[in-house]
Amino acid sequence: MASLIHFLFFLYSFSIIGSYIILGIISVFETIEYMKKNKFVNYNKILSSNISPSISIIAPAYNESLNIIENVRSLLSLHYANYDVIIVNDGSKDDSLEKLIKAYNLVQVDFLINEQILTQPLRKGIYKSTNPAFEKLIVVDKENGGKADALNMGLNISTNKYVACIDVDCLLIEDALLKLIKPFLESIDKKVIAAGGVIRIANSCIIEQGKLLDINLPKKMLEKGQILEYLRAFLLGRMAWSRLNGLLVISGAFGLFDKKIAIGVGGYDTNTVGEDMEIIVRMRRYMEENKLKYKVAYIPDPLCWTEAPDNYKTFISQRNRWTRGTIETLRKHRKIGFNRKYNSMGILSYPYWFLFERMAPIVEVLGVIYFGYLIFNNEVRWDYIIGFVILAYLFTVLFSIIAIISEELTYHQYKKKGTGFKMIMIAFMEPFVIHPFILYAAIVGNKDYYFNKKKKWGAMTRKGMTKA
Amino acid sequence: MKKIVLAEDNSMLSMLLKFRLEKEGYTLFIAENGKETVELIEEHNPELILTDIMMPFISGLEVISHVRNKLNKQTPIIVFSASGQEEIVLKAFKLGATDFMSKPFSPNELVNRVKKILR
Amino acid sequence: MVENNYFVKSFEESSLVIQLVWICIIVLVFSIIFIIIYLKYLRSLLRKNDLLKIKIEKEYEASVINYLYAGNEAEEISAEQQAIIDELKSNISETFKRDILISTLLKLSYEISGEMAESIHKLYIKTGLIDYSLSKLRNKKWNIIANGIRELTLFHVKEVQDQVKIHINHPKTEVRSAMQLYLVNLFHFEGLAFLNDITTPISEWDQIQLLEVLQLHKNQKVADIKSWLKSTNESVVLFALKLAKIYNQYGVKDELMALLNHKNIKIRVDVIPLLSHLSIIEAKIILKNNFKELSLEEQIAFFEMMENVYEKTDKPFIMEHILNPNFEIKFFALKILKNLNIDEFNCFKDLTSEPEFVRIVKYIESN
Repeated sequence: MASLIHFLFFLYSFSIIGSYIILGIISVFETIEYMKKNKFVNYNKILSSNISPSISIIAPAYNESLNIIENVRSLLSLHYANYDVIIVNDGSKDDSLEKLIKAYNLVQVDFLINEQILTQPLRKGIYKSTNPAFEKLIVVDKENGGKADALNMGLNISTNKYVACIDVDCLLIEDALLKLIKPFLESIDKKVIAAGGVIRIANSCIIEQGKLLDINLPKKMLEKGQILEYLRAFLLGRMAWSRLNGLLVISGAFGLFDKKIAIGVGGYDTNTVGEDMEIIVRMRRYMEENKLKYKVAYIPDPLCWTEAPDNYKTFISQRNRWTRGTIETLRKHRKIGFNRKYNSMGILSYPYWFLFERMAPIVEVLGVIYFGYLIFNNEVRWDYIIGFVILAYLFTVLFSIIAIISEELTYHQYKKKGTGFKMIMIAFMEPFVIHPFILYAAIVGNKDYYFNKKKKWGAMTRKGMTKA
Repeated sequence: MKKIVLAEDNSMLSMLLKFRLEKEGYTLFIAENGKETVELIEEHNPELILTDIMMPFISGLEVISHVRNKLNKQTPIIVFSASGQEEIVLKAFKLGATDFMSKPFSPNELVNRVKKILR
Repeated sequence: MVENNYFVKSFEESSLVIQLVWICIIVLVFSIIFIIIYLKYLRSLLRKNDLLKIKIEKEYEASVINYLYAGNEAEEISAEQQAIIDELKSNISETFKRDILISTLLKLSYEISGEMAESIHKLYIKTGLIDYSLSKLRNKKWNIIANGIRELTLFHVKEVQDQVKIHINHPKTEVRSAMQLYLVNLFHFEGLAFLNDITTPISEWDQIQLLEVLQLHKNQKVADIKSWLKSTNESVVLFALKLAKIYNQYGVKDELMALLNHKNIKIRVDVIPLLSHLSIIEAKIILKNNFKELSLEEQIAFFEMMENVYEKTDKPFIMEHILNPNFEIKFFALKILKNLNIDEFNCFKDLTSEPEFVRIVKYIESN
């Protein structure tokens, strides 16, 4: 019996490590291909073209009064010809709306909304600017309904073909829309339904008036650890999933969608905390069920800079929410798991996400408990344990450092002296310093999902404009 | 000495235009973004403003709006931008721009227009 | 000494699995040490290159500007210019420097046209950069070929068109699109002749780029797009539709009407606003008669068209649709009704208390 348990643990560990290796290799090849294709692309022509498709940026905002003026200004100066910016003020209790009205010369306008998705109603109404320089701006003031609900309102209001759903305090680089619309326009036989890019962590970076001036490595271990984690996930993970056409999530911080399909599947689900993942899975299901050829695209370029939690409380809360979101989405769409009808999503993505993302913390905790039991019964085979733990640790470190090298070879964003050394230190420290908290958050997330329904549905999740 | 403020974030283009216009006897002040442009305009009170439309921080359109409405000045403004984009041109003129040149443009042509306006 | 033996002995005594594990661990440790060293090396190399690049860029920018202003009144190269050419020439054997020089030249040539732009092209030829671009054309790798073509396009080298044209059906889209842009950039509408023969699809991205390039040169004699509208290559048809819109091709009325029956729904839907833009009224009658057979997308596009071309005789048709289940069609129908005959609009505006209808009516009344 014991051997069976051991065998299962080892099998699980080797599978997860093996899958990381495979995804890493595929990602590297994909990234090289992408760099080759895009090294000399001249975005200028598309940028100024009137024939380029129109995009609506939808940015839900809740109590963002402090920075909203600057955030909106930054969104209004992107390099793209045909786009508008829809700020959805989701029942904020502060003076966000008043500030916007003053700064951008807004007046209330009559607007006919095609309510394709049911949302909370308008509150003060819809505003546009009297100043032609701000013609792109539309501000919507509505009753509170949460991020998903606000995004749905944006979907109803937009009259453009594509929508970019973002976090309002996310800093988009100037070419972000150009770079992200490219996969949609380049694809010939497959329909691109959604596209996402790399989210970078803005902590300790100098941002002034909506422009990224200086990129710095933050001081806190927690923040540095997250940067490393993002590098691993984006550079060595998502590129591979995109290639396998199995990408299940586009970050809620910035993603571009085909509006018709997003509305066609019913918009965002207001009953989940993981709405960014859930809508992608639902859109993919729709395409699979209708036997339409499609793709969820991903580009490795950094497009968006956002603040990551800088204290453990917020961090745990965020990871708790991510865990619950993943569980909710996987549960809601369990029909596709291991289901040949859903092609790579059913055969590769769902099993992977279920086994290695959703179940991993549980397996890990069970492993620790079992280990405790073994110690208690003095049955520990120390030679095995030590060997395997060291192996797992070294593998993690190696993988992290490879992620750091990939970043150097591709976008090389952290140029300052000494950063390399600091990143290496983080690679060694992360399994001790960050990972336990992620594990803890995941377990609490599981507990909350199953036993704390109030948290799932209650006021907390509805109000805040939680970070993606 | 007539003063010109040039807002252009392409360093080569601004170097080229500076060379050329200074040869014609004008004094040039160069800004790389909308914010600097406004600062230079307020500080030096130029006789002419040359600005690109797509710039970091504040767009060229906002610069025009600022000069005409906030500063209440009638300084001639020549706008340049990537070609096409009739809408932007119309907006620029609506906000009070004096002239417009689409990129790529001939520097000689620009100089001619500058000379005409500042005669 | 004792310790060493202990470890070696216990290693030899362990099971195969443990031995493997420890071998893996040793391998990993060495790998980590190795890549840490590599990372340090890489970062300092990148840093060094960055600084060097900035330095060289400044030098080249200054050289190029000096070159442009060092010319004398006559057409030939002045001594000063020659000196600059020679100096640049001596630098370009290194790829690193060559790439910087090219991007420096491009940085300016994107923005300006006219005499100065031609000077830059001449500089490109005189410094010998052109030879490097040409050799790229003969390379086997697709990304190198595409880059070569791009460079030749950016510096307007017309003479090599035959060498470029052979790649017209290259398997990689990047090469094909580079070639298409070359032809259109340098030969404008005549360059579009490739549309007659191309069997591979042209993506939207490429189509937009081609159209933007075409529009750069005003006062062009527009090519005859009739044959393209009848092409079996659907992306060619879509491209021709865009041309018809931008260049107001009233002459292709019959071909456009024929496209209303094309098997590709995107073409059918895209043709409708174009017909509206060109005010081709005959289309209205055809679409009106076929309305029930049209897909929803086509129906909506048709109503959008109706907003521009409605006549009094259309009233009965419009009336049929003020209760259409689709929001957009309802909206257009009511709007047109109001414009046609405000009294009848007022008559029917309370027809139903269905919320959508009420909202639409309210909006139309006040706008």
